[in-house]
Amino acid sequence: MKKRITAKQAAFLLPLFLLLAVFAIYPIITSVVYSLFDYRTNDQTVAGLYTGSNFNAPLFYEDCDYSVWYLGDELLVLDEKDGAELQGIMDEITALAEPYKDTKEVVKMSSKDAEAMQTSIADIRTRLTDIFERNGDVEFYNGLETQDVLFDEIEGCFINSNFQGLEAYKQLLRDTRFGKSLGSTVLFTAVSVFFELCLGMGLALIMNKAIKGIGIVRTTALIPWAIPTAVSALMWSYMYDGSSGIVAKVFADLGFIAAPEQMLLSAGGAMTAAILADVWKTTPYMALLLLAGLQIIDAGLYESAMVDGATPVRTFFSVTLPLLKPSMLVALLFRTLDAFRVYDLIAVLTGGAQGTETLSIYAYKLMIGQSNYGYGSAVVLAMAVCVAIIAFVFVKVLGAELISDD
Amino acid sequence: MKTSKSTKTISAIIIVAFLAVMVFPFFWILVTSFKPGEEIFGKTAFQIIANNPTVQNFKTVIEKGILDSIKNSLIVSLVTTVYVVAVSTLTSYILARCHFKGKNMLMALILGVSMFPQMVVVGPIFNMFYKLDLLNSYWVTLAYSSITLPSATWIMVAHFKRIPISIEEAAHIDGCTTWQTLWKIIFPVALPGVFTCAIMTFISAWNEYLLTCTLNSDKMYQTVPVAINALRTQFSILWGEITAATVVVVIPTLIIVLLFQKQIVSGMVSGAVKE
Repeated sequence: MKKRITAKQAAFLLPLFLLLAVFAIYPIITSVVYSLFDYRTNDQTVAGLYTGSNFNAPLFYEDCDYSVWYLGDELLVLDEKDGAELQGIMDEITALAEPYKDTKEVVKMSSKDAEAMQTSIADIRTRLTDIFERNGDVEFYNGLETQDVLFDEIEGCFINSNFQGLEAYKQLLRDTRFGKSLGSTVLFTAVSVFFELCLGMGLALIMNKAIKGIGIVRTTALIPWAIPTAVSALMWSYMYDGSSGIVAKVFADLGFIAAPEQMLLSAGGAMTAAILADVWKTTPYMALLLLAGLQIIDAGLYESAMVDGATPVRTFFSVTLPLLKPSMLVALLFRTLDAFRVYDLIAVLTGGAQGTETLSIYAYKLMIGQSNYGYGSAVVLAMAVCVAIIAFVFVKVLGAELISDD
Repeated sequence: MKTSKSTKTISAIIIVAFLAVMVFPFFWILVTSFKPGEEIFGKTAFQIIANNPTVQNFKTVIEKGILDSIKNSLIVSLVTTVYVVAVSTLTSYILARCHFKGKNMLMALILGVSMFPQMVVVGPIFNMFYKLDLLNSYWVTLAYSSITLPSATWIMVAHFKRIPISIEEAAHIDGCTTWQTLWKIIFPVALPGVFTCAIMTFISAWNEYLLTCTLNSDKMYQTVPVAINALRTQFSILWGEITAATVVVVIPTLIIVLLFQKQIVSGMVSGAVKE
């Protein structure tokens, strides 16, 4: 029953397209573009995506202005001839800077113009240096050093392209901090999803049998899942607190950690704390998904298994597990991806300290913390590649069914 | 299958233990919120009932504007819910009912967006909002679409597919346009699904932390998850106030869960479990 979509039906899809285009597809493409540039918004020379020659006009004007202003002092100590020459140079600088008086941003400039300007500036600088050196015995107000500083900066106003191709990705391979955060992310994901699956499965099996009390269990289970992760992480950070945290105290009393303070301040402790908080929050989700999967298994199959004399363990592995596989894989996939992308929990609990820095945390620190969008985007895209690999493995290798068109 | 008495007992013990673990953090937060500052530290830190119970913590956090952040959260979450439900209803009706070229591509795109790390969009959206001068405003709600829209569409598609196509065909024969069929015939029947979708969208918008934290640093526009964490950094560790604030902000979630648990469970499993 394949048919073409009518214009009217297509119009129904339009709002979704618009929103996804602006808030998902455009940002993703932008991230890819960012990652190809050395783009850092806190550094004037690379605060944009520059493919051609660019000219930092505001800085140029400001530096020229200062240069002339300082040179004005020197006029007073020079003899007439050198003074006249200096005055000429000052006029030249002013003439160069004048057109950019009201320019507020970095402007594009053809490489020919840029070259011409750079040549005249180099020429001015040589002549200026000459005057200073010729009058080595004169006591200047500001001296050559001041001018050198200014002219260095003026020369830096001509911004070259900051396109760097795949350089950021090469940097990833050398970056040990990236390697470490990838390791912590994988560790966090694997351990927490493993425990969630085991505990969730146990709970689901029990809830599937018990009719009494299932309502209250379900309601209770939904609460941790429904509260904001940032709030639950805050609750746990109180309970892990070194001086008044009850969980930290109990763990210390049981001998798991040397002292309550070690809970969030030691490498093993902090990771355990994060995993524990995650398992607490998401095991119910896993349990409820698995329970829903269990409930659609035909009860007749269990009866047949029992008639055939299968033990409960055998029944679980030969009947329940194969039939539960589709639901289980989808639940596992979603949980794995969520755990892999974890941000809120770690950001609130440890801020990434003590070996708990996951890829999300590292990328966020790079982009928003250090304004290093270029490299931050590369980290985030590497993370996206990992996510794609995880999804691919689940769908193609393990056979999770996500899209069914029937 | 017969269940022996001992298995039953073990099950019951596990269930009780599970409930205890789930509830304990909330219980402990509630206990602490009534303790005066000095009792939170030292010997009395682990005492259940405070020696001098007080509601001062609650007064302080309300003075510090926790109710304003609840208001912000309500505004942002409600707006998100309304437009996301509208958009996803339109989309999923077409996805559930029409067969067309590129449909699987579109489904894969929606699914792909929901799987992508949210961190990918944060940097570019921050720059976009900065350039458009939209930082620190309620416009953040539009950015929520990248998180809420895919899952909302997913839930709606699952619900639309369950509605028999015959009533629609009847409507079509009677001369209804696509729009009329959706609005007058299907929408009322699909209302439970729409409601489920709304609840799920509301919860995920309410819980959103990363985008608001990045885009709305101004206290005036902070939502609950961000504002409550700002309490901690501003005043080092005043656990009394933090726990009181937690109690206040968990209440809305609690009400939603108690009232709509059926819809929430149905929303959680739709798409994940094939019936």
